[in-house]
Amino acid sequence: MGELKTVGKSIERVDIRAKVCGTAVYAADIKFPGMLHGKVVRCYEHAHARVKRLDLSAAAKVPGVIKVLGPKDVTTKKYNQSVIDLMASKTEGQMLGDIEEQSIFTEHVKFYGDGIAGIIAISEEVAERAAQLVKVEYEPLPVYLTPEESGAPDAVQFTPEKPGNRAFQLPEAMFPGNALGWGDVDKAFEEADLVIEDTFYTPKQKQCQMEPNSYVALFDDEGRLNCWTSGQMPKLVHEKLSRLFELPMSRVKINQTVVGGGFGARLGMVLEPEVCAMALAVPGKPVKIQQPREEDWLTSPSRHPSRYWMKIGFKKDGTPVAIDAKSVNFKGGYYLDGSALASTTGFWLQGMYKFQNLRYKGESYFTNQPVCGAFRGYGNPQTNFVLEQMIERACVELNLDPLQWRRKWHKETGDLSWLNATPYTSCALNECLDRGAAAIGWEEKRKKYANQTGTKRRGIGVAVGNHTSGAFPMILEHTTCTVHLNEDASATVLVACSDLGQGSHTTLRQIAAETLGWPIEDVRLETGDSDANGFDIGAHASRTLYVGGAAVMKACQDARGQLLDRAARILKVNRDELDMDNKTIYVEGSPERSVSARDICRVGIYNFVDHATGLPEGEMGQIQAYVSYKPEQNSPPFFATFVELEVDLETGEVELLELVSSHDIGKAIHPAICEGQMEGGAQQGLGMALTEETYFNEKGFATNNSFTDYKMLGASDMPRMTSILVENGDPYGPFGAKSVGEAGVVTPVGATANAIFQATGIQFTQGPITPEKILRAIRERGQTYV
Amino acid sequence: MSTRVLTEFDLLLPASLEEALDMLERERSAVTVLSGGTDLLVAMKAGFKTAKAMSLAHLRNLDFLAYDSGSGLRMGPRTTIAQIVDSADVKQHYPALWQAAKIFATPQLRNTATVVGNLLRGSPAGDCSAAVSALGGTLVMASAQGRREVHVDNLWVSYGVTARADNEMAVELRIPAPTKGTVSAFRRLTRVNEDLAKLNVAACLQLDGSTCTGARLAMGCVAPTMIRLPSAEAVLTGATINDDTLALAAEAVQQDISPIDDQRSTAEYRRAVAGVYLKRTVQQACGIA
Ligand SMILES: Cc1cc2nc3c(=O)[nH]c(=O)nc-3n(C[C@H](O)[C@H](O)[C@H](O)COP(=O)(O)OP(=O)(O)OC[C@H]3O[C@@H](n4cnc5c(N)ncnc54)[C@H](O)[C@@H]3O)c2cc1C
Repeated sequence: MGELKTVGKSIERVDIRAKVCGTAVYAADIKFPGMLHGKVVRCYEHAHARVKRLDLSAAAKVPGVIKVLGPKDVTTKKYNQSVIDLMASKTEGQMLGDIEEQSIFTEHVKFYGDGIAGIIAISEEVAERAAQLVKVEYEPLPVYLTPEESGAPDAVQFTPEKPGNRAFQLPEAMFPGNALGWGDVDKAFEEADLVIEDTFYTPKQKQCQMEPNSYVALFDDEGRLNCWTSGQMPKLVHEKLSRLFELPMSRVKINQTVVGGGFGARLGMVLEPEVCAMALAVPGKPVKIQQPREEDWLTSPSRHPSRYWMKIGFKKDGTPVAIDAKSVNFKGGYYLDGSALASTTGFWLQGMYKFQNLRYKGESYFTNQPVCGAFRGYGNPQTNFVLEQMIERACVELNLDPLQWRRKWHKETGDLSWLNATPYTSCALNECLDRGAAAIGWEEKRKKYANQTGTKRRGIGVAVGNHTSGAFPMILEHTTCTVHLNEDASATVLVACSDLGQGSHTTLRQIAAETLGWPIEDVRLETGDSDANGFDIGAHASRTLYVGGAAVMKACQDARGQLLDRAARILKVNRDELDMDNKTIYVEGSPERSVSARDICRVGIYNFVDHATGLPEGEMGQIQAYVSYKPEQNSPPFFATFVELEVDLETGEVELLELVSSHDIGKAIHPAICEGQMEGGAQQGLGMALTEETYFNEKGFATNNSFTDYKMLGASDMPRMTSILVENGDPYGPFGAKSVGEAGVVTPVGATANAIFQATGIQFTQGPITPEKILRAIRERGQTYV
Repeated sequence: MSTRVLTEFDLLLPASLEEALDMLERERSAVTVLSGGTDLLVAMKAGFKTAKAMSLAHLRNLDFLAYDSGSGLRMGPRTTIAQIVDSADVKQHYPALWQAAKIFATPQLRNTATVVGNLLRGSPAGDCSAAVSALGGTLVMASAQGRREVHVDNLWVSYGVTARADNEMAVELRIPAPTKGTVSAFRRLTRVNEDLAKLNVAACLQLDGSTCTGARLAMGCVAPTMIRLPSAEAVLTGATINDDTLALAAEAVQQDISPIDDQRSTAEYRRAVAGVYLKRTVQQACGIA
């Protein structure tokens, strides 16, 4: 391949004009004539209770109410709103213990805001008013907000399938001793010179995607169930809805609207079951459910809070001999992706450093909190918060340079990657560390901040990580792509990959254009239509560019190949003697021997007979290419983040000064998009470290499920940021690219904690690290590690 | 839990002040005054019910802002936070108010929210409330019966409750003119920059050289209403402003405050930082780094 024309350039994003001008159609913008409005009646009186009596009669009498729906007025089939269970084989799913225990409307309220009934009315106002008239008699149950409480022997059981309310434990059949890892950890600790251990808490962080949830459904005259959704996994939701409502997939249609951010909150279903159940109750009438932000907080999954214990052992010279860890996750009221999260949290642990012995146990317990599921990083930020602080502490104890230690002991190309199954295909972490350190002035600042006086103390911290590019070889990977060349030699690429705002529709188009050898304007992507698009898992596991991009590339290579084959027959040469410049195909070395791609495409479609010869004017058939692609590799990106900050010892306030992240991404298909991912990830990572947590009162009611009291960092809170793209090319990724979608959130978490450690001499084990916690620790020095 | 749907209410749109006062006289507590609405509408979405809301949007000439070196600052009930930020006079003569307005919320909010609304919300967290309290402002209340003045020291009765009678609306806020040696400043602590305060402080001192001849100190989020800090004021009044007196004032604050745990912070934390923030605010007012 010669010089790249489109790939590697920060071209205008294909979605940006519509978004900036306000013409992009989000689910909330969808209106149909005669559209009805649905409202899910939620329980705000209890976080744990049984519904003894549900009286919908007063609500039904409100003028304008079309229908009221109790638990038995809709399908009583159980389901699991997550889609991760679809990505493992049946046998594997059984071994892992995946379950389906959710109901559209529940009679066992498991968290504050659990849905108990539905109202369909002519307007949102009417539905709202009717909802207030629903009379419910509850039997209150004890509220469990921690695994210790719900796991107690006499606790009320959330579901008979999970005795002891343990939603998940690494299964013995797959992980002997219910643990993953290698070696003999216990023995190794005996031989270690330094052993440290601690227990951490990582917060219930919310994705806070910009677009609040909105769904529309219509059971149409053909008996098809149509759903308009901003889900990030449309094809798996297609399958899920078909199963739940027992309709063939041909009678379920998913229309993916513009997605205003996902970050995992839309990995699976949110209110698709409710809105579809309502639509089925009023055939022929579209129904829309729109949620305020407060409700979104309660109904779409958040990051799992976890209690994370870790013990690590080293030799005096820093040799990492053993690591033992256990994360216990607060699952919330329902199972969802119970098996996956507790596992991956350990995968990130085993993928990072060359510990000689490692053991990790992962468990999840039900709690009376809103559900937890996927959130950018998927366990990785949790592990980063814990592991990187433990490493830092060890480096201080052993008097080792934390950067040099990381340089020396991180896993490398060829070492087994996070699943401990396939090797890392490429690793440029040392370059990330070196360039990042130089950009922020690590050496100098680290030394300077080692000795400070005064009330304001600065600190600089580093953390490293790696992530994944797709879910191979852990769970299902698959993307299909169809390309057809139009009569004017433009291309339509059909692929179901989602653009959640991360820019994938731009980068996929760049890959298509580059592969075909055409300008980007001549390539159109067709997405989001479950009839037109073949299978794609959806946006998760940082897979869209790595897997989806490879599928697009392969399909386009095929289409280009077919075009060149036809040209070769016309020019009577071998295909490999040909090259294409814009739309002209010519024989290399003699450009006068050429044929136009347009002519080939056109005659393939408008295939007239030449009157003179009586033969077709050219080769018949529209050029189409198709792949059903499954990657055989995974090329995890490595990355490092440096954070510099200042702590006010009198108030505990943290001022973020500078953040430098460097990512070994292989190749930046669109550098500005990569930087955007890194900066956006940093905003969430810093937030997780410093401010973001969903709080509950003793009754289990969420007390800050809105932007009034859930605080993300705003633009003015952010430090100066530098994003360094390390592009050494991965041997397997499309154009050498590795992922960047989730990675950005991971290392700012550990680097921030480590910077606070340098500034204050105190490590904080309980996230988020608020000024209240900092000040208390400063005042009680000695309570935590000094 | 807020909803997407406001509960029903009648919107009253008086076209003149007389009409507005008549409406208030007639409707009394059935009507709520709606100015910028940045507090009221949020409350209504979260369940606060009012049968009628009387908007001041159609009343003219109520967004004035005028400074006179003799009589001081006058502003109307529709004068926005953004107007304060834009005023060179406020910046120069009332640093505490200007600083409170400067960090207030976001540009959209500042364009809508009013200073008078901030005072009449009666929140212990109001940023302009802290500044006006320290600066010793006076609200002019009007009703169909006439006018009266309510000094800011007598404005806040309890959480969310003000001295406003139910037939009254505030038509003007006055703040006395600074004299030679008057200095003031405002500071606040928040969880993130764009946030309501977890603690705010305003200080207005009368200085004679480095001697403080008078002090008005106000602190928010440490009691059910915005409060003055009489013990700290007593320490500073007559004293030379230096590290020692500031330390004493910071200590004295503990007697004036009664903070609680809430969504934004803890009582423990507020107690721990109240003195520090008072000290820093006084230093800022006095131009000590
Ligand atoms: C996103 C957001 C951010 C915010 N940030 C801040 C902040 O940083 N600092 C801060 O202090 N506040 C903040 N607030 C709160 C609010 O904006 C302020 O309190 C604002 O000053 C209120 O003014 P308003 O004109 O909008 O009042 P309104 O909501 O119209 O009224 C508030 C109260 O005062 C009464 N009232 C108003 N005018 C009169 C009058 N002339 N006569 C009699 N009664 C009257 C109303 O009846 C109501 O009870 C924020 C609010 C939001 C939504």
